[in-house]
Amino acid sequence: MRKGTRAAFIAFVCAATLTISACGGENGTGKGNAGSSSAPSASPSGSASNAQPSAGAADKYDPPIEISLVGVTDDTLEGVLAKLSGETFENNRWSKLYKDQLGITFKYDWIAKGPDQFKQKMNVSLASGDVPDFIQVDATELKQLQEADLIMDLRDLYESNAAPLTKEVLTQDGQAPFDAATIDGKLMGIPNIRSSIDMAQFVWIRTDWLQKLNLPEPKTLQDVVAISEAFATQDPDGNNKADTVGLLLQKDLFGGFAGLEGFFNGFHAYPTIWVEDESGNLAHGSTRPETKAALAELQRMFKNGLLDQEFGVKDWGKTAETASAGKVGVSFGQQWLSAWPFQSNHDNDPNAVWKGYPLLSADDKPARPEISLGTYQYWAVRKDAKNPEALLKMFNAYIKKNWGETAEFGTYYLPGDAEGTWKLSPVTPEPPNKNLDAYLAIAEAAANGKLAELTGEAKVIQDKIAEYKNGNEKLWSWAAGYDVDGVYGVMKQYKESDRFMMNKFVGAPTETMAEKSATLGKLTNETFTRIILGELPIDAFDTFVQDWNKLGGEQITKEANEWYRASKS
Amino acid sequence: MLGQSTGARLFSAFNAVFLIALSLLCIAPLVHIAAVSLSSSSAVTAGWVKFWPVDFTLDSYRFVMTRGEIWSSMWVTLQRVALGGGLNLLLTILIAYPLSKESATFRSRTGYAWFFFFTMLFSGGLIPWYMVIRQLELLDSIWALVLPAGVPVFNVVLMLNFFRQLPKELEEAAFMDGAGHWTTLWKIYLPAALPALATVSLFAVVWHWNSWFDGLILMNRPEHYPLQSYLQTVIMQRDMTFIQHLSRAELAIVSDRTIKSAQILIATLPIVFVYPFLQRFFVKGIVLGSVKG
Amino acid sequence: MIKSRALSRNLPLHLMILPGLLLVLIFSYVPILGTYIAFQKFIPAKGFFGDQAWIGWDNFRYVLDLPGIFQVLWNTVFIAVMKMVAGIVVPLTVALLLNELRKQAIKRSVQTLIYLPHFLSWIILGGVLVDLLSPSSGLVNQALGAFGIKPIFFLGSNDWFPYTMVISDVWKEFGFATIVYLAALTGIDPQQYEAAIIDGASRWKQTWHVTLPGMRMIIVLMVVLSLGNVLNAGFDQIVNLYSAQVYASGDIIDTLVYRLGLQQAQYGVATAVGLFKSVVSFLFISVAYYAAYKLADYRIF
Repeated sequence: MRKGTRAAFIAFVCAATLTISACGGENGTGKGNAGSSSAPSASPSGSASNAQPSAGAADKYDPPIEISLVGVTDDTLEGVLAKLSGETFENNRWSKLYKDQLGITFKYDWIAKGPDQFKQKMNVSLASGDVPDFIQVDATELKQLQEADLIMDLRDLYESNAAPLTKEVLTQDGQAPFDAATIDGKLMGIPNIRSSIDMAQFVWIRTDWLQKLNLPEPKTLQDVVAISEAFATQDPDGNNKADTVGLLLQKDLFGGFAGLEGFFNGFHAYPTIWVEDESGNLAHGSTRPETKAALAELQRMFKNGLLDQEFGVKDWGKTAETASAGKVGVSFGQQWLSAWPFQSNHDNDPNAVWKGYPLLSADDKPARPEISLGTYQYWAVRKDAKNPEALLKMFNAYIKKNWGETAEFGTYYLPGDAEGTWKLSPVTPEPPNKNLDAYLAIAEAAANGKLAELTGEAKVIQDKIAEYKNGNEKLWSWAAGYDVDGVYGVMKQYKESDRFMMNKFVGAPTETMAEKSATLGKLTNETFTRIILGELPIDAFDTFVQDWNKLGGEQITKEANEWYRASKS
Repeated sequence: MLGQSTGARLFSAFNAVFLIALSLLCIAPLVHIAAVSLSSSSAVTAGWVKFWPVDFTLDSYRFVMTRGEIWSSMWVTLQRVALGGGLNLLLTILIAYPLSKESATFRSRTGYAWFFFFTMLFSGGLIPWYMVIRQLELLDSIWALVLPAGVPVFNVVLMLNFFRQLPKELEEAAFMDGAGHWTTLWKIYLPAALPALATVSLFAVVWHWNSWFDGLILMNRPEHYPLQSYLQTVIMQRDMTFIQHLSRAELAIVSDRTIKSAQILIATLPIVFVYPFLQRFFVKGIVLGSVKG
Repeated sequence: MIKSRALSRNLPLHLMILPGLLLVLIFSYVPILGTYIAFQKFIPAKGFFGDQAWIGWDNFRYVLDLPGIFQVLWNTVFIAVMKMVAGIVVPLTVALLLNELRKQAIKRSVQTLIYLPHFLSWIILGGVLVDLLSPSSGLVNQALGAFGIKPIFFLGSNDWFPYTMVISDVWKEFGFATIVYLAALTGIDPQQYEAAIIDGASRWKQTWHVTLPGMRMIIVLMVVLSLGNVLNAGFDQIVNLYSAQVYASGDIIDTLVYRLGLQQAQYGVATAVGLFKSVVSFLFISVAYYAAYKLADYRIF
């Protein structure tokens, strides 16, 4: 994905916009909707209350300005830099773009490697009083920054300086990303937007095993269970040893790989998100009665040997080994599973082919995949920063350079095989629907014989699919994802039938949530695991709900509902 | 010399076998890691590699060789081992010697001893420590890795106990000859305490080699990370929420254990060879004989 | 006159201590002043000297009110004490056994090899151990099976988990302490051995009457120092090896605090717990120090 190109473009436009604002003084009428916590207006054709930013050469800061930042790098980024000769973290095509087009140079106070190190370093730096001009944080940290009165309200800046394309991209996921960054009615951060729908889960099944055992494709959750039973007992890997696993599961029980969300969703239970109960109030999915039914079935499955008897001690890394070694054929998970670990399985055994199926239901109501807000980072601006609008200019340039009219996707997002070039830009918003859109573009082109006319991201992906079809087995995962019958076809179904079950609580974690989540998480994980293992009877679930409420769940629910009521008004 | 009884011989044999088995148990994981580093990525992901490479390949080492980070971080570590290890050793000796004296001759010793020992148990926590270092403008320099850990109290306590075990006659003889404390320390005590010196040197060097947390927090650029800090960023098992946000290419690298294993091996082997080198010092103090005579 | 001579005699001693003293003063004692955040609701963003809320003992109360905290404390002490005991007995025994080896080549090799596990982090060893201890395919259970013993779920059963932690930790760290004991062994006067042999003492008797007493100082030292770890059950190891199945026996103070930290960088709480642990360790060691002093006229440091 050429995120880099788009990023640069957005950054450019943002910077250009901001330069104009700076040169032209305040655009006085952009006051937005004062007092409401809803997202800024999405329509690019401008309601009267939005001032129109004008793009152009005047966007550039002259003389150039310097913005202080803190940086985070990681292994893949260093791998990318290794492929782009002569470029470094502080000096690369993106930094050059921001400098040339917007007149912005970055000064990094420090750069940490790895997200955990970044968090720790940021905490100690903040405690020492070192705050950069712009800073990227999660929702909890955003709240802390606001409590410490370190950052500014960005609503007006956003209204006045975000380009139409930027506004369109940032609101593609609805109001939720902005709600999450809105504290006490003020917009404290610009969402570094990510896709929420990409968090939806599927049931992945090895179709070569289905064929081998002469099983039909599943239509209900019961079918899936039957298939996993067959896989566990009928020796599909043909080695005369009872060493295959029915359903793959890792010890944390939930997550994008080998988790149980998809299974629970088949019972209309949503264990990791907040849902509306019968009276329209928010309740946490893990405490709802439907969860109990799903747990009972899982308990039965474990007892009958359909699950790995040792799943409780295997983390996701270890669990991947089971898939990679070709010992399992059913797993719930997100769309990227074909890339890892299933590609590895395919590398070891070219016959191993996995397909992503839509979540199936245990009854006649369709299963709805539970999703949560994909955006998890927000850009905040220090209160006394000299050029706060530069942030929006960067956003504009990034989005425009990758996905706008002058997009150079192949330079800034994904040149050759330097995947991850887009990360060289500090801001990295990406249109929430871009993956699905890429799939749709490919599917449409394929249907009309116009594959050669694809551009941008869709073209890059289609090239990989074509290469796979020409015999490069290492690219199988791309076909499994984006080919016509790939998993994104199912994503399309999800979207068209509006089946996503979105987390109803998307605000920043409340006071009690921050205090009690760890405890409640431990309780949930421990109870569910022991029920599935059979160490606890299924009725222990009822005790669990009581304990959950007692240990802070009740208070959390109250706070969540307060937020919910406030956000609806 | 009396000959060995059968019982003694049997014991010797069993002893040797037992200890050798124990050492094999200890080297096993390293052998496993070496095997992983020389195997193909997919074989490793499938969990097929035990003690021997599967699909032998030097790819991971080739990859590591081209990436400069491990070498630049090794250089940082070598600096901190030399400077920090040296400082540790020096201060250990300088502090242990006075503290090894009797209270009668050196009345402040117990006060000093508690002064140092207290810091072994109490600490102010991460943030105050960081702020002090920052205030002294040591951040992002090699001195941040060397100075704060300058006094390894455990080693001091060890050393002072070893000093105490040396016979009193040594010191008395030296004073008779008109030697002051400095001379006594350098010319008499140290040669007599070679095993102890070797021990605390080893501990100081190993501590600096292995230490990773300070590097991560106190350095402002990844290029300045010492070796183990760099390694930590490579092998850290992230939690699931992190990998969910990765792109496809990144996912492949995140779980590539062959590269991680190659890096682990490169980062571990050098220090392993230090101990055999120091073992020659585990011999009895040569001075003992001279005092008797 | 005596006094001034003593002072000038001892001046070098004071000077020797001075550099170390300064370093410790700056880098240990000044930060210790910052421990007071244990009594605040500390939010990093507000800055260390910022407007943090004073909440007195609330951080401590918060930890003590956590569900299962007493089980957690018990787990911590149980595992820590076992590690302390094994951490003395095993290295000591191995050092004595090594001392019996005649062939220097074997002795040196063994000495080097047993130190190796110390260098591997638990992140790596975690994966290795899950495989090794697997009830279905792990080598250990396969070996046990040869003796007719049914598979044991070492990492997944509350009965076994603490012991698994102790044994694997001892395996990893015993090499370190062995070195200390070996160094102590070389400090024993060979004439004492000669005297014992003349008296007809067997190797056992020599060990009991010459070797161990000769190492007494160091052994006592190591025991007392390890007392400081009464609440350190080994965070690194446990966080990489535990799971929901064994929370009941495996969750320790540090893993509990770690999970809290994940949510909201709770430095106030972490400092409070650290302070608590320090105070407890200090009490234990002080008691042991004065016991050794009063009873055996021996100052440990």
